[in-house]
Amino acid sequence: MSKNLEKNIMAKVKSGQITMKPRWYFVLGSLLMSFGLIGLSIGAIFLTNLSFFFLRQHGPMGEWRLQLMLDSFPWWIPTLAILGIVAGIFFLKKFDFSYKKNFSLIIATFVAAIVLAAFIIDLTGINDVWFGQGRIKDLNQFNQNDWSGQQSQSKQQGRRARFTY
Amino acid sequence: MQTVNKLSDEELAEIVRTRDNGAYAELIHRYQKKLLRYATYLINDEDLATDAVQEGFIKAYINLNSFNSKLKFSSWLYRIVHNQAMNLVSRSKSHISTDEVLEMDSGINLEDELIKKEIKNNLHDCLNKMDLLYKVPLTLYFLEEKSYEEISDILRIPTGTVGTRINRAKAMVKKICQKT
Repeated sequence: MSKNLEKNIMAKVKSGQITMKPRWYFVLGSLLMSFGLIGLSIGAIFLTNLSFFFLRQHGPMGEWRLQLMLDSFPWWIPTLAILGIVAGIFFLKKFDFSYKKNFSLIIATFVAAIVLAAFIIDLTGINDVWFGQGRIKDLNQFNQNDWSGQQSQSKQQGRRARFTY
Repeated sequence: MQTVNKLSDEELAEIVRTRDNGAYAELIHRYQKKLLRYATYLINDEDLATDAVQEGFIKAYINLNSFNSKLKFSSWLYRIVHNQAMNLVSRSKSHISTDEVLEMDSGINLEDELIKKEIKNNLHDCLNKMDLLYKVPLTLYFLEEKSYEEISDILRIPTGTVGTRINRAKAMVKKICQKT
């Protein structure tokens, strides 16, 4: 049985029926994985920061304003941020160090690092510079229009309510 | 051939991927018996175990360039064959699940040598009654004589978890082997 096993495999090797994948294939794979992880982390930081930015813009508020904020809040941003973090964790699991350490701790550190980085960016005001430029500015303006539109709509509804009352 | 025999696994792997693919025969020769024994413990079927080992060696050859020669070749190879065997196990679902075994008292501490002797004496009876979760690290530790670090690399679990599973498995062995 053992001799046959060796013979079978070596016959396949010698005949070229099985060939080694080239080294660049694996180098490319690990490079893509690393870039994927870095890209996802940056994306998640950016989107988490964007969520902080919109939260900060609305500020702490009363019940009806909170409802208004919840209605107009761009939920796709934190949703994408969470998806980015989940994908990042998936990539992290592919790395060899992941099983040597406590993986729950690695996940907690990864999530904390992203939230902390986003918070620091928000605190230092770098995002205000970003949000004043280009597409981000458009996005901000769009959100503000959306926000003010809903606000005036609510005010009108409030007035109507007062009249009927 | 004399010089090939003296080379370490990692050096041989380097030769296979850079100079002479024929040297792979020596690697097969070194590990086929050990891997066949290990796969048979996991699958409980010699033919399926042979398939798993053959597929494992083929996969190892195809992916040899992904092997990091700073690490242990044997752990890498065991990992591949382990995955092949586990795929076959999950397909056939032939292993015996013993939930009741997990509930038993694990407070008894035994000497490793005694456990090793007991396992070897009542090998199949003992191992087949254990859940794979505990059977695998126990087999690797006592029968394949792998270190915690190597088991951690093969199963891709932290060394602490390896220790916990082996300790629990020891208690199970005590109960099961004494019954049989």
